[in-house]
Amino acid sequence: MNLFGSIQISGSGLDAAQTWINTSAGNVANMNDVSSLSEPAYQQETPIFEPITTPTGEGEGVAVTSVDLGSANGIVAYDPSSPLANSQGMVREADVSTGQQMVDLISAQNDYQANVAALQRAQTAYQSALTLGT
Amino acid sequence: MDGITGVLQYALDGLSQQQQTEANNLANVDTPDFTAQQVDFESSLQQALDSPDGGQAQISVTNSSAPYSTSGNNVDTGQQLTDAEQTTLQYQTMVDMLNAQFLLVQGASGGSFT
Repeated sequence: MNLFGSIQISGSGLDAAQTWINTSAGNVANMNDVSSLSEPAYQQETPIFEPITTPTGEGEGVAVTSVDLGSANGIVAYDPSSPLANSQGMVREADVSTGQQMVDLISAQNDYQANVAALQRAQTAYQSALTLGT
Repeated sequence: MDGITGVLQYALDGLSQQQQTEANNLANVDTPDFTAQQVDFESSLQQALDSPDGGQAQISVTNSSAPYSTSGNNVDTGQQLTDAEQTTLQYQTMVDMLNAQFLLVQGASGGSFT
């Protein structure tokens, strides 16, 4: 157990939530991406969270260990007006679910706020500990 | 260390660990297959205080038995936030009591009581 350990733990939670918000924002920004059939579609990004534990089994926060990429096939759609369409008028569109991304954003925001709340409680306790003997 | 100071110091250690565990649970609120942990030091401390020959208190960390969500996670955000608030208030109370105890010792040994 290190000094002011709670602050580090909540900090790792803030980092993870921030990464989630960033990937989700990236997905929403790219949801209308179109590519030709010979190119891969935009791949939806999903961060993978894993707990950090010490060798003795003590929990020390959370980390984003990797980012999972969605299918590069996307959705093949008929859009003959697109300059990227092939001779049959087909293009590849990004396979990003708006609903899923909105739900993810709300979850990520709640995560962030919960970690800030825990951080503030820890700060209050540590500050009171610093008054010991004064 | 024994007596009141020892008990209060032990309580501070227990509360500190409790706070870290709650922070860790909240940091992992969306981690798949994560099981929340809980810290108990009060029951062991009570037992040690009740036993006539002193006894040894210890902090125990156990897995939470709360129901799991579909992602295999069982962190209850509301419960953890409430617990974190309570832990902080308890911590502040222990610090206040330790400071009061220090003032008593200081006064009794010829210094000022305030």
